[in-house]
Amino acid sequence: MKNKRSLISVVDDDESIRESLPDLLRELGFAAHTFSSGEEFLASDYVDQTNCLILDIAMPGMSGPELQCELTSRRITIPIIFITAQRDEAVRPRLLKLGAVECLLKPFSEADLLGALDAVF
Amino acid sequence: MLLVLSTARKDPVEDEFSRVVNALPGLIWIALPKGNVDFVNRYWCEYTGIGMGGACGVGWQTAIHPKDLPELLERWQSIIVSGEPGEMEARLRRFDGEYRWFVFAVNPMRDEAGQILRWYGLNSDIEDRMRAKEDLHAHQGGSFLSIGDGIPALISFTSPTGEIESVNRHYLEYFGITLDEAKSWGTNDMVHPAHRQTTIDSWRRSVQTGKTFDVEHRVRRADGVYRWFQSRGLPLNDVDGRIVSWFVTATDIDDRKLAEEALRNSERNFRQIVDSIPGLVCTMTPTGEVEQLNRPLLEYFGKASAELKGWKMTDAVHPEDLPRVVAAFTDSVTTGIPYDVEHRCRRFDGIYRWFQVRALPVQNSDGQIAGWYVLLTDIEDLKQAEESLESGELDLRSVINTIPMTAWSTEADGYCDFVNQRWLDYSGLSLEQVRGWGWSAVIHPDDLADLVGHWQSCLASGASVNTEARMRRFDGVYRWFLFLGNALRDESGDIVKWFGTNVDIEDRKESDEALRTSARNLDLIINTIPMLAWSTGPDGFVEFLNKRWLDYAGMSAEEGAGWGWAAVIHPEDAKGLLDYWQAAMASGTDVDVEARMRRFDGVYRWFLFRASPLRDEMGNIVKWYGTNVDIEDRKRSDEALRANERNLRQLTETIPEMLWSATSEGAIDYCSGRLLDYTGFTPDEIMGANWTKLLHPDDVDRTAREWMSCITTGAPYRVEVRTFHAADRNYRWCETKALPLLDQEGRILKWHGTVVDTHDRKRIEEELRRSEAFLAEGQRLNLSGSFSWRLDTDEVVFTDQLYPIFEFEHRTPVTLERVASRLHPEDVQLMYDKIALAREGQSDISYEIRLRMSNGSIKYLRAVAHATRDQEGQMELVGAIQDVTERRVSEEALGKVRSELARMARVASLGALTASIAHEVSQPLSGIITNANTGLRMLGAVPPNVDGTLETVRRTLRDGNRASEVISKLRSLFTKKDFTAEIVDLNEATREVIALLMSELQRSRLMLRIQLADDLPPVMGDRIQLQQIILNLLLNASEAMTDVDNRSRHIVVTTERDGVDSVRFTVQDVGVGLDPQNMEQLFDAFYTTKNGGMGMGLSVSRSIIESHHGRLWALPNDGPGATFAFSLPRAPEGVGVIEDDDLGSIQRSALNTMRSVMRDL
Repeated sequence: MKNKRSLISVVDDDESIRESLPDLLRELGFAAHTFSSGEEFLASDYVDQTNCLILDIAMPGMSGPELQCELTSRRITIPIIFITAQRDEAVRPRLLKLGAVECLLKPFSEADLLGALDAVF
Repeated sequence: MLLVLSTARKDPVEDEFSRVVNALPGLIWIALPKGNVDFVNRYWCEYTGIGMGGACGVGWQTAIHPKDLPELLERWQSIIVSGEPGEMEARLRRFDGEYRWFVFAVNPMRDEAGQILRWYGLNSDIEDRMRAKEDLHAHQGGSFLSIGDGIPALISFTSPTGEIESVNRHYLEYFGITLDEAKSWGTNDMVHPAHRQTTIDSWRRSVQTGKTFDVEHRVRRADGVYRWFQSRGLPLNDVDGRIVSWFVTATDIDDRKLAEEALRNSERNFRQIVDSIPGLVCTMTPTGEVEQLNRPLLEYFGKASAELKGWKMTDAVHPEDLPRVVAAFTDSVTTGIPYDVEHRCRRFDGIYRWFQVRALPVQNSDGQIAGWYVLLTDIEDLKQAEESLESGELDLRSVINTIPMTAWSTEADGYCDFVNQRWLDYSGLSLEQVRGWGWSAVIHPDDLADLVGHWQSCLASGASVNTEARMRRFDGVYRWFLFLGNALRDESGDIVKWFGTNVDIEDRKESDEALRTSARNLDLIINTIPMLAWSTGPDGFVEFLNKRWLDYAGMSAEEGAGWGWAAVIHPEDAKGLLDYWQAAMASGTDVDVEARMRRFDGVYRWFLFRASPLRDEMGNIVKWYGTNVDIEDRKRSDEALRANERNLRQLTETIPEMLWSATSEGAIDYCSGRLLDYTGFTPDEIMGANWTKLLHPDDVDRTAREWMSCITTGAPYRVEVRTFHAADRNYRWCETKALPLLDQEGRILKWHGTVVDTHDRKRIEEELRRSEAFLAEGQRLNLSGSFSWRLDTDEVVFTDQLYPIFEFEHRTPVTLERVASRLHPEDVQLMYDKIALAREGQSDISYEIRLRMSNGSIKYLRAVAHATRDQEGQMELVGAIQDVTERRVSEEALGKVRSELARMARVASLGALTASIAHEVSQPLSGIITNANTGLRMLGAVPPNVDGTLETVRRTLRDGNRASEVISKLRSLFTKKDFTAEIVDLNEATREVIALLMSELQRSRLMLRIQLADDLPPVMGDRIQLQQIILNLLLNASEAMTDVDNRSRHIVVTTERDGVDSVRFTVQDVGVGLDPQNMEQLFDAFYTTKNGGMGMGLSVSRSIIESHHGRLWALPNDGPGATFAFSLPRAPEGVGVIEDDDLGSIQRSALNTMRSVMRDL
């Protein structure tokens, strides 16, 4: 796809996502790195290198949308795909309005994920 | 509720609510907790003509009468603060602008936590009641009229606008007119034409302003003579201060007017006389102030009479003469000796001329100096002649002959040697006839001796001649002359000659005489008054005592003058009288006092002293005129009466009653010791008109009116009145009675009365009356009434209040059939069920039932009854029925909103539960799907990544297990195996649940039949969980009968032993029943026949029962409906509470949270 593989950072407090999603992303040809919280991501060296962020909404500590705000205030622009297990119909349009690329409901299919990633890359 | 009411009107519940409230035939409004109105019903809008939008917030205030608004708002605020139901009164404007009185009743509606959600208000029209009250009050004014005839005064009553409505008998008789004539006094000749217009104007002014009417005018008496009257009008006010009537009294003041007029005329005459005297004349007060100058004198000085004030002697008298004049004048004023000084007075043109100024004291008949009469004679010419004489420069004789007065000279021994030509002309004699002593022939024989005497003494002493005598003119007429003469001495001082003049003073003499006559006239008037009369200066210094007075006292005018009269006042009365007199003078009020005066023979008699001040135009008191009237005889009879009473009193003091007596005028003059002891007042405090002090302030007016009425009419007096009781410092009800004591002619002499404490009796009567009134009024206000019902004969008796509720014609016979015909068809069965219960012996019955009225409207009644046996041992049901339609309608609306809210809460909690389950399950599912996708891709790769695939499959398995764990955790939450076990009395647990549900069941109009076994053994279990199941089964039964209309809706709840070791609980309904094919599915999770249910209730209930080692089952009934039952093993004997483990309490709290949700599952 590209010379250097695009880096996708996954931030989710749920371990099964952190284990399973990077493998799939790598199979799809991306580089992937996982973080268990927003704070961990911000403290890491990957912030500037990340081309796309897959971000859980509800996490202990900093929530997904809060991380989004923080990045905006630091003038860091990273395309964000939100993922969530909560079926709140109102959340999706709000997040899209705030600049998210997509908001996927867990469990999401491979096709949904690919669709979202296509919109980023 | 808050949310629902204030949101848009799309909400169906809200629409339903508005529809109901709008349909209610009353003015209904609803306000927010802070008082802002946010709803008014259609009736309200139609009545006031203000739309819903206009009334909301504070807009409704525009419909309140402005006068009533502040008080209404204040009251409303206090109700809001108190949070209690309340009432307000105010006038409300109808759409057509008319105000009517309304009572505003308001009740708070609270939520379960007790917070006020809304205020519900109802306005009821009380205009008629208020009007009746006002009429009553106005009528009390009219009752004066009945008294009016008894009052010996001329009284008329008018409407508030001033038209005479009635007059008393005396009035018609005195004026000899008819009522119609009295009514048209403004147009007929009843009031003298000269006074008519001013009277009408004054009356109009009073009627418009409400100020006292007070005029003096002439009014025609029956004999056609106009007499002076004083008419005074006072307004009678009602409680609100509005004038309901005018009360006008007319008093004949003609005699007083005449006396005043005579006095004024007399004084005026005096002035006219003085003014018309052809000399230069002025009058002065006794103290020497110039009072009046006659016209010639004013002309001389060139002054207008208005300039007299502040005019001083120094302005007129030549400065060189002034000290002499002042000294002489002061001397005269103090001694009363006539004043006679020659000095120069300045004429208007600034030229001084010589005057002989003589002042004579004017004495009244008693010798008092009433003033000074001053005559000024121009002697300038004479003076000049004298001066010329002295200078000797002119021919004496020619001078003397030309001066315009008579002059003469004599030898030192008095031998007349000369009279001037004027003298000769006057007398018509020749010098020869005059010479020597011949002049004496023209002197009036009456005056001659005095004149000669004076002349002899002057000759002897050498003093100046100064005397008066009449001289005969040539035509025989005598005129008064002033004889003045001076001696001429030589150097050694011996008299060598006398020179003199005679000045014609006839004019002066005449005016002196006229003056005296005038003063005599005044005195004459006063002296002819057939009473003792007197007058004083403004300072009380007695100037005049009439002849009768002096005759009575045996005093001369001099002795009585000033303060000398006080000597005849009885020593015991003197101080009081003088104090009174000083006070009256200080305030200028009329004198009216009694004192004893000594007669010439030393006998004291009682007199009434009366005096009034006479005021000048400025209102200053000029004089006091007084009279003394002998009242000895009256006094003596009074005294005799008193003596008589003293005896009587000694008698009455021994009677064990509270006694009192009063004069015929109603003044209390005696209270027995017992009465004084009772009230704690001293006699002085309550005598006369002060007796009202004894009464409760609210009773004073009524009692005083009654008393006035009795003393006027002579009717026996009887009042019940709150009287002060010293012992407990409070008012007690007493009955006070009095009867008049009449003389032989039937006139009232006295009143004798008693006071009897009736407080306890009165209080009991009052309580009885009040409680009866309370009951009737309470029932009327509550829209409730009572009934009794003989069960054996079905005889039904209604109280009055029940008839309108059932819309039965008043007092028509009531039968069961009539009652049943009014019942809502669905509720007829309910009534018969209740009757059946009563017949079975249930003693307390309480239920709600609906009526369907002839117009199709529904009434909700609440009935409470108690079964008793009457004297014949027959069962009788006695109870009360209340119309709770209004409450029910609002409750129903509220209930609907509440159940809607509950359903939403249920959905919300369910949603939260679902979300939480979904979240828990979604996470592992997400992992599973992702792993599976990854595995697929890995296997599909070339070459296949087997190791990676293995890893993903392992993770898939792990996440699958995790999901299944979530599910099993959830199930364990509902089917908890562990619980807090305790001894549970199933009967008690059941009663508690029923108590909780009672109102809900009644609202659904369900009959609950409870059959609890007496000897039920306890079970072991979690009380709250078990009660949850009972609740669930009861609610299910209730809901199953929602649509049942064709049969009595009842639930039978039973507890009983189930074999030896178990206890059974059964709920039987007559609802929709069960489909036998689905019997077992009933207890599956998510099976439901209800719209809102989730199908968890029975499933969870069964789990709980099973965890208690029991069974839960369902059976279709033989008839309609179904039976649900559970059975539990009885508790082993001697087992107490078992603490399972720590986990138990944790789960218990988790369960408590679930409980509220489960109720609705």
